[in-house]
Amino acid sequence: MSPNLVRPVLIGLVAAACAASPYFGLPAWTPALATVVALLAISLMGLNLIFGNTGMLAFGQAAFVALPGYLAGMLHLHLRLPTWGAIVLALLLTVIVANGVGRIFVRLPGIFFAVGTLGFAFVVEGLARAFPSVTGGASGLVLDAGTTLSGDAWYAIALLTLVLALASYAALVRHGYARTLRVVHHDELAAAVAGIDVARVKVRVFTLGCAYSALGGVLLAFYVGVVVPENAGVSRSLEMVGMVMLGGPGRLVGPLLGAGLANWLFAVAGFAKQYEILVYGVAFLGTVLFAREGLAGLLEAAWRRLRPAAAAAPDAPPAADAQHAAAAPAPRGVRLRVDAVAKRFGGVQAISNASFEVADGEVFALVGPNGAGKTTLFNIISGLEAPSGGRIFVAGRDVTGADVHERAASVGRSFQVARLVPEMTAAENVMVRLDQIAPATPEAAKRAAAHALLADFDLGELAHARAGLLSAGQRKLVDIVRATLGPPALLLLDEPAVGLTEAELDKLAALLRRLKLQRSAIVIVEHNMDFLRSVAGSGVVLHGGKVIAAGSVDAMLGDEAVRGAYLGAIA
Amino acid sequence: MSLFAQAVISGLMAGAVYALLAVGLIITLRTSRILNLAYGETYAIAGLAVSLLTKAGAPLWLAIVVALLLAVVFSVGLDRLFLQPRSHWPIPMLILVTLGVAFVSRGVLLVLAGIDPLSFPRLISGKPLRWLGGALPPQGLLLIVVGVATAIAATAFMAHTRTGRQLRACAANADAAQLLGVDVGRARAIAFAIAGLLGGVAAVLLVPLTSVDFQAGLAMTLRGFIAAALAGMVPARGVPAGLCLGLFESFVSTYVDALAQDPIVFVVLIGAALWQSRAIRHGGGLRA
Repeated sequence: MSPNLVRPVLIGLVAAACAASPYFGLPAWTPALATVVALLAISLMGLNLIFGNTGMLAFGQAAFVALPGYLAGMLHLHLRLPTWGAIVLALLLTVIVANGVGRIFVRLPGIFFAVGTLGFAFVVEGLARAFPSVTGGASGLVLDAGTTLSGDAWYAIALLTLVLALASYAALVRHGYARTLRVVHHDELAAAVAGIDVARVKVRVFTLGCAYSALGGVLLAFYVGVVVPENAGVSRSLEMVGMVMLGGPGRLVGPLLGAGLANWLFAVAGFAKQYEILVYGVAFLGTVLFAREGLAGLLEAAWRRLRPAAAAAPDAPPAADAQHAAAAPAPRGVRLRVDAVAKRFGGVQAISNASFEVADGEVFALVGPNGAGKTTLFNIISGLEAPSGGRIFVAGRDVTGADVHERAASVGRSFQVARLVPEMTAAENVMVRLDQIAPATPEAAKRAAAHALLADFDLGELAHARAGLLSAGQRKLVDIVRATLGPPALLLLDEPAVGLTEAELDKLAALLRRLKLQRSAIVIVEHNMDFLRSVAGSGVVLHGGKVIAAGSVDAMLGDEAVRGAYLGAIA
Repeated sequence: MSLFAQAVISGLMAGAVYALLAVGLIITLRTSRILNLAYGETYAIAGLAVSLLTKAGAPLWLAIVVALLLAVVFSVGLDRLFLQPRSHWPIPMLILVTLGVAFVSRGVLLVLAGIDPLSFPRLISGKPLRWLGGALPPQGLLLIVVGVATAIAATAFMAHTRTGRQLRACAANADAAQLLGVDVGRARAIAFAIAGLLGGVAAVLLVPLTSVDFQAGLAMTLRGFIAAALAGMVPARGVPAGLCLGLFESFVSTYVDALAQDPIVFVVLIGAALWQSRAIRHGGGLRA
């Protein structure tokens, strides 16, 4: 058999064995329990997408599992809709509610999102209890339409839906989208600078995740035949988070493993109901503290040990044009115009009335002592902070009010301390920007472009290494390489030379010369004057938020006032 | 009985509890930068401890002392055993840790105390006081006076003592505070002890008027958080915010509908959160 076939055949065999396992006569592992586990796993996949992949602390997910069951039951009971119509309409309504809730919640800072979703579960549970005439009150809403189906038919439905859910999840969360979610999870600011519309991605993920939860939830409600207020509540939501953590957050099969193990353990051990919360709680806390990758992570580690060959780095892709995704050279002209920009922080005037222009092919130095306002000006140009006055033009476009991610295609930016996702490889970190500015590029071409760029810096060998294992200087180069992809009309480098070796500095200078030929404009904040002299043509000196000198770098650095500003007391 | 006076009385009683919880939650948040989702457990633990101990025949004063001690030990233990050793972890993971502890705590309470709500005798009994047609049990007056006074004392401690300032320095920058000679471990222990005490006091004062069960913790955390959000996470505003929330809730359930209380309070939370985060551009307090 060809080695390419081993994996799919193996996966197929394992899946078939799992699907047939309830008929093997294992203790407590019956088709009835397997149906519940399969449907619950579908709901958990939604939470996994929101919480596991994207890192949003959704602590009220049970509300979106129980809501469609309640809605379908009420539509069927009170409006006499046929069962299937009620189910479809209930799913649709739940997704609409989730979208609305998501739109409000994702704009909230982290802890408010967590408490808001928690509160939402309180409210849904409370409403379900509060209106017994409509919702059945504490004893629940009976849904008897499912009783006509046999147990095996239900198991088949659950399996089929689970397979579809797994396949759609696997097709969705890979390549560029998987990287996008990871960056949002790890560092929202780096994500925005790379061009990701963080709020939009989060709303989509939340809506989509709730759709999975609702699908599993409505089927489970009809299978069990009743939906009770506790199904929507906070305890249930926390159990769901616990199962996702147990299975392995962010993994395809994590939810299935978590739901399967937890429910089977309860069935086989025959715990009294009163121990259930404690056992879930201990499992939850234990996973958070000691096994953050969950069961799926443990299995993966075991698999890697069994097959060391599979862990080796894949072959380097064929060398490709490093600027594969590059646009045609942009027309000539002014790339950046800073027009009378001012910034106040409370009573501090960080920048007052700064104006300058940078043309294409120019390397422009922004120098000044610490606290002069250089980084603040960078933040204003890249959109992280709004100016108190003045305007910013990039490539002729007024971007003063534009969000960070809207500027990303034309503005590349590196940070003083590299902001990479440590769990992703160097190449993947670079590809994050390509995913945004050239989303249609095939995966292999993105990979090749990232590799070629890294190879230029002698980082080709490390392209497959996780960013967390690189040295500070190497991480910094990866961050800079990422910012130059495109190439952008304007490149902002925040102290790029700090922490680099002489050889790396030469490479950086060569890269900047190439970008000049591609007509990017480059603005550098830097204290290394030798490096600045070697690459920069002109620039400005900032002192106390004011432009105190402008012109060629050599003239500027010789200027008395500039020396005074830098050397201060000594001069 | 005047509806209005009764609404004000109920509102002040609930408000005193929210003030205690809000101040406790803010003090831990401002010292550790972690939203402590296990905070309400101090309330549930203290309430159930007094109930169980008095049922077992212990004198009320002893039960209360033990319960307050338990609440303080739980709060400090949470920080010492689970949070401080992992201070380099990202904040969301630490919030998950507090959630896990809350989860275990409610599991333990369910096993120990059972599923039914429990209560214990009032600290002071007697005929209800009449005021403008409303009735206020003496325990309710005790709740309002002692609750508000304790909460104010805690905020004054934070604002006006050297230790209080050290606590706030820890939150702003733990490393810098350490360099300046602040014992961060001790400061955090004090903050979590105060918070645990406030949660316990809230239970001792309120539970005799109602009841408490194993799952009261998260509901209390949520209410305390809403009040804390209204206060903008500023300790000194915790008391007025808690009282306002209590009065608002009480008026909603008196004049609108008792069932409308949860959804409307929830909308208040969203509004407060949006107001607090109006200056934040994308989903978090971020800096380059």
